[in-house]
Amino acid sequence: MNRPTRRLATAIFLAFGVLLGFVTWYQVLAVDRYRNDPRNARTALSESGKERGVIVTRDGVVLAESFPDPDEPTAYLRSYPEGPAYAPVVGYTSLLAGSAGLERTFTDELRSRRDFTISDLIAAALGGDLRPRSLQVTIDPALQTTAYSLLEGQRGAVVAIEPSTGELLAYVSAPSYDPNPLTQPDALDFRQGLLDDPAEPLVDRAGNSLYAPGSTFKTVVAASAIESGLARPETEFPDLLEFPLPNSSATISNFSDGVCSTGDTVTLQVAFSRSCNTVFADLAIRLGAEQLGDTASDFGFNREFELPWPTAESVFLTRELRDDEAALGQSGIGERDVRATPLQMALVAAAIANDGEMMRPFVVRQVFDADGNTERVFEPVRERRVLSPAAAAVMTEMMERVVTNGTGGRASVSGVRVAGKTGTSQGSGGPPDVWFIAFAPVEDPSIAIAVLIEDGGLTGEDATGGALAAPIAAQLISAWLNR
Amino acid sequence: MTRNLEAGLLAGAAALAGFGVALVEFAGGGSAEAQVGLTFLIFGAAFGLVHVGIRRFAPMATTTLVPPIALVTVFGFVEIYRLDPDRASLQRWWLVIGALAALLTLAWTGKQGITVLRRYRNIWFATGVVLLLLPLLPDLKVIRGVELNGSRLWIDIDLGFTGMSFQPAEIAKLVLVAFLAAYLADRQPALTQARRQIGRFSFPEPRQLAPLLAIWIGSLGVLVSQRDLGASLLLFSVFIGLIYAATGASGYLTGGLALVAIGGYGAWRVFDHVQRRVTAWLDPFSDFAGAGYQLSQSVFALGTGSLAGSGPGLGRPDLIPNAITDFVFAAVGEEFGFAGSVAVLCGYALIVASGFGIALSSRDRFRKLLATGLSLILGVQTFLIIGGVLRVVPLTGITLPFMSYGGSSLLGNFILVALLARISHEEAT
Repeated sequence: MNRPTRRLATAIFLAFGVLLGFVTWYQVLAVDRYRNDPRNARTALSESGKERGVIVTRDGVVLAESFPDPDEPTAYLRSYPEGPAYAPVVGYTSLLAGSAGLERTFTDELRSRRDFTISDLIAAALGGDLRPRSLQVTIDPALQTTAYSLLEGQRGAVVAIEPSTGELLAYVSAPSYDPNPLTQPDALDFRQGLLDDPAEPLVDRAGNSLYAPGSTFKTVVAASAIESGLARPETEFPDLLEFPLPNSSATISNFSDGVCSTGDTVTLQVAFSRSCNTVFADLAIRLGAEQLGDTASDFGFNREFELPWPTAESVFLTRELRDDEAALGQSGIGERDVRATPLQMALVAAAIANDGEMMRPFVVRQVFDADGNTERVFEPVRERRVLSPAAAAVMTEMMERVVTNGTGGRASVSGVRVAGKTGTSQGSGGPPDVWFIAFAPVEDPSIAIAVLIEDGGLTGEDATGGALAAPIAAQLISAWLNR
Repeated sequence: MTRNLEAGLLAGAAALAGFGVALVEFAGGGSAEAQVGLTFLIFGAAFGLVHVGIRRFAPMATTTLVPPIALVTVFGFVEIYRLDPDRASLQRWWLVIGALAALLTLAWTGKQGITVLRRYRNIWFATGVVLLLLPLLPDLKVIRGVELNGSRLWIDIDLGFTGMSFQPAEIAKLVLVAFLAAYLADRQPALTQARRQIGRFSFPEPRQLAPLLAIWIGSLGVLVSQRDLGASLLLFSVFIGLIYAATGASGYLTGGLALVAIGGYGAWRVFDHVQRRVTAWLDPFSDFAGAGYQLSQSVFALGTGSLAGSGPGLGRPDLIPNAITDFVFAAVGEEFGFAGSVAVLCGYALIVASGFGIALSSRDRFRKLLATGLSLILGVQTFLIIGGVLRVVPLTGITLPFMSYGGSSLLGNFILVALLARISHEEAT
């Protein structure tokens, strides 16, 4: 009578085998799924109160640091001494409110790996350093804080890039928020207040909001024409009062509601400096959706950039525009379905400034260990060649004349050659979103900028890129070159 | 393995318990040398008592039974200490009481032989039924049934100067298995021989089905009266297994499975708490904040524990409701990691293997059935509750032998071990 007993024992052991299989699933195979589930508070709880690394700017301004909790000797508190101006870059890390920005994307580097576990002991025995590491960012503090204060009272963004490297010099979104209260016990109430605020302070307008780029997009259209050989600055176009859109009763007129020049013909250069819509609608249709779409994609449209936090993909709908010339004409002046982030338009300026070669934008320059030794350096990376050096030189000259002899006059800085392009996008009714993109100095550009102000900013209905955004670009260029 | 090596392993387990308490204290930033020492001493004393009992009253018993029990007890205790130090100190005393009970059991059966149990068959049956009914008692001042978490499986004893809670099912399962082993040993021929032939099919005599149905109805009775899914399922499956072991008729197993299915479906239809448990089992995350919270926290704990675990005192098993009772395995998994989980599972596999080994090497019919029944209790109960924590089966809410917090459970299981050890000794002589 041992056989049934043996079978029962076998059944029990098989059942234990199933238990072993399930344990293996939870603790070996599916660890990431359960450990990183947003409803699993354990990771956040274990990070909270631990020391984290410092985040500093290129000249040593501290943006985030940990300090010992005066009430609890073993715990640390996190603080962001520079407050709202840097919030879109640095972000925050909070037990209650989660994390954002560099605090989120670089949390593996910033966190202390000292968990008092056996794995710690092993790592330490093998010479591993468990202390938190620190970050140095590419942001220039003077530029960042100046840009933030220039946007005060308005909704908008400033992105500044070093064209030769892709280093972000400024990344500003306004209005912003103070990350410090998010680390406090009443973080959830504070965050709810931010979420309820109609000015939407939590939105990253620099890299994660899409706007019609308006006439700044003419830079892409002109670059496409020059790179493809379809036109040169001297090429003449009909100077119409209204450009009739094909297969449509709609027309496109100029911002002034008049002709661009004499009413006869107008060169591409003059049309660009004066930002004439009739010529660029015409030119976009002549280029065709494929050619224009290729150039836009080379400039970074329809692509995501990670800074390392994710950014929104700027949009140029090549396929939809292929059979719709009327829409293509409207897209040629940056309206209709074209959408771009301020980051994207800064990249357009930066690529032209860097002789047609786009560098990949980045914000973390170095990772240091706890002793201050460099552990990792992020080298500039070539993203892609967008324009030939010759075409880039032609575009530079055209953009310089926007400032010297066109709509961008208020971007001029005494003693500095500035190239730029204005934009005033009607968008969906209401006051316009206004733009200015620029780079300087022309002979050896060290900064490329995009300025965006939503809904006419402080000037309302009458706002234009030339009047509202260009002066901000000028002040920032001046601040950067006189640093 | 020699008896002295076994003693060494038990001393090692006691040291491990002290070490675990020290780690927990260290992780909390404190130091409690007294707790470390006390834990070491009490574990040493408790398992020392069991060991002395075996040396004195069951010297030929297998040496592979008690050390793995000490190991899983240590794991459970360290988690209880880490989660609730006050209850841990109670658990320590229950450990001593359990060890004393084991010693007494060994002494009693050592004098008269384990077959003494066979003689009191009907007393065991009556005791078992009374114990199962105890929680239904109204308030009688001194003793009363208590409803907890929707189940009525506790009694409170109030003697005026002191009070305590007790879970009679933990003892009932033992006496009922003793009864059934004795009953089956006496009734062997009747159950296997007669079969009724109808055409080409042979059926067991209807009266042979009587015990099966009686057990089924009894188990359903436990379920209905006490809403205790775990005890009901445990009793039923152990009894079916035991009848199968006695008769070798696999029809009892298939019939038992069918009855479990019918009973389970009925319970699911009738009882809200069974429905909630099944829903939470199938998809705990669909009602994360409600019925699924406990199981979600359980799998989060296991996943976060990963391979090496957070280390004792450094995880957050406090986020799991009932972590020291039903979910103690998840707490071990979080803080000791996959390594700890596997150690615990291997510990139980060794315990159950030793138990079945004793059953298989037994020549006496009663001893063989009793050892089989006791091993089944340990195996099935361990599977049901760990399986519940791991979402293999719906959560039934029974204790994990030797690891869960609770005096009745420790007491019952220590007596169980003493019985197994004594059977092992008797069959080796």
